Amino acid sequence: MPFLAPLALAGLAFIPLIVAFYLLRLRRTERTVSSTYLWQQLVRDLEANAPWQRLRRSLLLILQLLLVAVLVLAAARPFLERTAGLARDLVLVVDASASMGATDVFPDRLSAAKRAAIEALAGLPADGRVSIVAAGETARVVANEVTDRGRAADAIEGIRLSNASGDLGDALKLAGALAARARGAEVLVVTDDASRHVPEVRLAVPIRVLTVGRERRNQAIVALAVQTGAGGVKRSLFVSVANLDTQAATRRLQVLADGAPFTARDLFLDPLTRTEVVIDELPQGTAIVEARLTAVDGAAGPTGPADQLAADDAAWAIVPSDRLQRILLVGPGNVYLQNALSLLPSVELYGVSGADYAKTTGLEKFDLVVFDGFLPPTLPDKPILAIAPPRSSALGTVTGTLTGPYIATPAPDEPLLHDVDLTRLHVATAQRLELPAWARTVIPGPKQVPLLYVGAREGLPTAVLAFDLHQSDLPLQIAWPILVANLSGELLGRDASTLHPIAPGAPVELLLPPGSAGMRVSAPDGSATELVPGATGASTVTFVGTGQLGVYRAEPIPAAPEPLPSGATPSPAPSPSPSPSGSEAAAAVGPVRFAVDLFDPEESNIASGDGARLAALGGPPAAGGQAGIARDEWWIPIALLALLLLLAEWLVYERDGARRILGALRSALTLRPFRRGRA
Amino acid sequence: MSDPRAEPTAAEAPARHDLLPAAVDPTVFDEAFLRQLERLMLVTRKAVRGGMKGVRRSAKRGVSVEFADYRNYTIGDDLRTLDWNIYARLEKLFVKLFIEEEDVTVHILLDASGSMGLGAPDKLLFGKRAAAALAYVGLASYDRISIAVLQGRVARRYPAVRGTGRIFQVLADLSSVKAAPGPTDLAACARHYAAQLTQRGPLILISDLFDANAERAISELAGTRCEVAVLHTLSPDELDPPLEGDLRLLDTESGSGVDITADLATMDAYRARLTAWQAGLDAVATKRRAAYVPVPTTLPLADLVFAELRRRRVVA
Repeated sequence: MPFLAPLALAGLAFIPLIVAFYLLRLRRTERTVSSTYLWQQLVRDLEANAPWQRLRRSLLLILQLLLVAVLVLAAARPFLERTAGLARDLVLVVDASASMGATDVFPDRLSAAKRAAIEALAGLPADGRVSIVAAGETARVVANEVTDRGRAADAIEGIRLSNASGDLGDALKLAGALAARARGAEVLVVTDDASRHVPEVRLAVPIRVLTVGRERRNQAIVALAVQTGAGGVKRSLFVSVANLDTQAATRRLQVLADGAPFTARDLFLDPLTRTEVVIDELPQGTAIVEARLTAVDGAAGPTGPADQLAADDAAWAIVPSDRLQRILLVGPGNVYLQNALSLLPSVELYGVSGADYAKTTGLEKFDLVVFDGFLPPTLPDKPILAIAPPRSSALGTVTGTLTGPYIATPAPDEPLLHDVDLTRLHVATAQRLELPAWARTVIPGPKQVPLLYVGAREGLPTAVLAFDLHQSDLPLQIAWPILVANLSGELLGRDASTLHPIAPGAPVELLLPPGSAGMRVSAPDGSATELVPGATGASTVTFVGTGQLGVYRAEPIPAAPEPLPSGATPSPAPSPSPSPSGSEAAAAVGPVRFAVDLFDPEESNIASGDGARLAALGGPPAAGGQAGIARDEWWIPIALLALLLLLAEWLVYERDGARRILGALRSALTLRPFRRGRA
Repeated sequence: MSDPRAEPTAAEAPARHDLLPAAVDPTVFDEAFLRQLERLMLVTRKAVRGGMKGVRRSAKRGVSVEFADYRNYTIGDDLRTLDWNIYARLEKLFVKLFIEEEDVTVHILLDASGSMGLGAPDKLLFGKRAAAALAYVGLASYDRISIAVLQGRVARRYPAVRGTGRIFQVLADLSSVKAAPGPTDLAACARHYAAQLTQRGPLILISDLFDANAERAISELAGTRCEVAVLHTLSPDELDPPLEGDLRLLDTESGSGVDITADLATMDAYRARLTAWQAGLDAVATKRRAAYVPVPTTLPLADLVFAELRRRRVVA
């Protein structure tokens, strides 16, 4: 038997040392007895063949010698060699997507995948290296060219389940890049292969696939939305439930309004179909709606128990605020603008001409002021939407006129252009504006001249559209009401983006209210994250920790009051300015909620595949490659044997105590029937 | 002549507990126990000559009511012993002989060597109690009690006593006995006592017999033609020593040491050795027509006297 550390066998030198200690030990406990008459006779018998006779019957010595021998053997790390089943350089991809949380294998697919991955590492050659990629919401390298199996196993055990939809494409690309560093490498993917989507990637190295998962019993909530009626008062709930099993199932749909049960319906779900449910008239004032899919009480068989994936059995939706908001439209009158604004839910629209604006009172009651082709000398301390500003102001500097400007490519992740198609937008003339420092470009024009920009001007949401609506075909396109709705969300503090369900792991852009220093986001599990804008004057912060399913709550962090200038004293009288301070404004703005839902039928379909499609993405094995040698170490059973020997040695040494324990146990056992009889 | 069975006088009774040895638990010798002891008698298998009148058959002929034999009249014989009926039939003078009833001397030998001073419970204390109980049995049977303490190479005798009233003297004598420091030669002590012995009778040796010459001691005592009983007294920690590990055992008498490793095998060997030693002593005693009674010190005194010694026919 070969050894990994043969030098450790030198530890066998301890054996004669222990024997010598037994022979030479001089320190004995002195004990006075009545007579040593019998002991002298006994010692004469025992020492008939001294000194070896003394050792012959010492069970303790034998056990200690055995223990030393076994420990030395374990330290020498004996092993057996066999042909390795894996390449010398291995990239291990562990699927950690939401479907890996299915419980059709105990305890769940991800745990089974981890076990399978750790067991597969036994097939690595002795000098093998492994890189590990966790394929969750993103592909992440958790171990890089590790040679220590223990560290590799720790890295595998550290992979956590993601609630995000899985895409092995990124993980395979990353694995391919890692495998390209060494010749003859291969990729091992441990997955349930539940996705019907085949990644669009080809690797030059061979791919092996280990699959986990057996069944596909799952029903899922794949859509949940709150729809507001035409009057803006009645709200209905739309729920879509999919049965992704090949057998019919009965499930109970429970709906909770702000945590309180609202209604429940039993649904009979045909195999591989979707069922839509509309629930009318949500309670007034409801902020959060939760839908749960549960087992039906008393049902038996395949329709009865809960399904095998819990992540898609609950969904949340945020109900838009039904507080009435007022918008003042200042201008000569624009039917397109009036129509688009009046279509907004929970909005009252007021209009006034530019000439009458100076006489208007009660400006503080409006939530938004829209200036259409007009600007007053003094801007109100309110959120402003300015359309074709005629002159330079605090909203921006007008440097000229653009004729026939084309629309440049906007930022792909611009939230205000969500569902807005600008490809057929044409503009005849527009004001040439310079982008202020507090704003960001939403619709760029030629040479990065902004056609629409938004930002927080002195903490007040402000948007400027550079062209008159009559000078473009925008009002005639579907994009117009959507753009107005998105703009109103940002300007009125009703961030429409947070009303949409957010996919797990997707970033969320949160508007910073005026006077706030940042946002504090509380996750569904209660953990809080504080977000501070990266640049001064930024109007948004981005939250990326959306790994959990459920409702998140974002609250503004009030800014610290600015220190007074040197020598100044605070005024004892109330400030003549009607505008509140920044921190008060931040405190006045309520928290923002957004829901993170799975809503991915692809991920909810947990029918596992055989991995052949993934294996086909790999290349052929390297030519001329020789199988390595794997080593199976024996130290675990040897260490167990050492433990047993240690226990036996302790029992022999403490035999009197062990006898007393056994005696007590025996007496307790004999007493027990008697006690039962008396009872 | 006063009745030897008479109870102690009223003047003696209050002093009884005052005379009890301090180390002797007075509750051990309460009235009930003493009454029970009085019903016992130390067994003598053959008649021996005594010194005074008693209740045991003597080898001598005397004046009891039990007829023994006839013999021819010789001048000087008491005419009251002539059998006149035979003279009427045969016209010859015969004298009737009667069984003489005398006391016997009970010899109680207590080993007070250093080894007897150890053990839990104390072997010497146990031996004192056993000696006191047997002495009272003898005193209650009108026997003469002779107590000797074996220490060093000699047997130190206390004056022989007779009558239950002397039990307090016996207790006082026993209470003064202390374990002797230094080695004790049991055979030499036995030889010394045998040399002093003038009257035969039951002889009881109370000892732990931790002596290389213990068998010779038994033989010496048996050679006195007394009816020897050996109470082999051992404490529980000698019967099953609670020893463990590497030890140096020191002899309490000689101070010599023995190195041992007290493991399972050693303890098993010790117990086997002890059993063989006791069997050897039993064989020697049986060969010399002596009774060998192994007695653990945990044995209650009542069990010793009323059960164990009765079973061994030491008392009846």
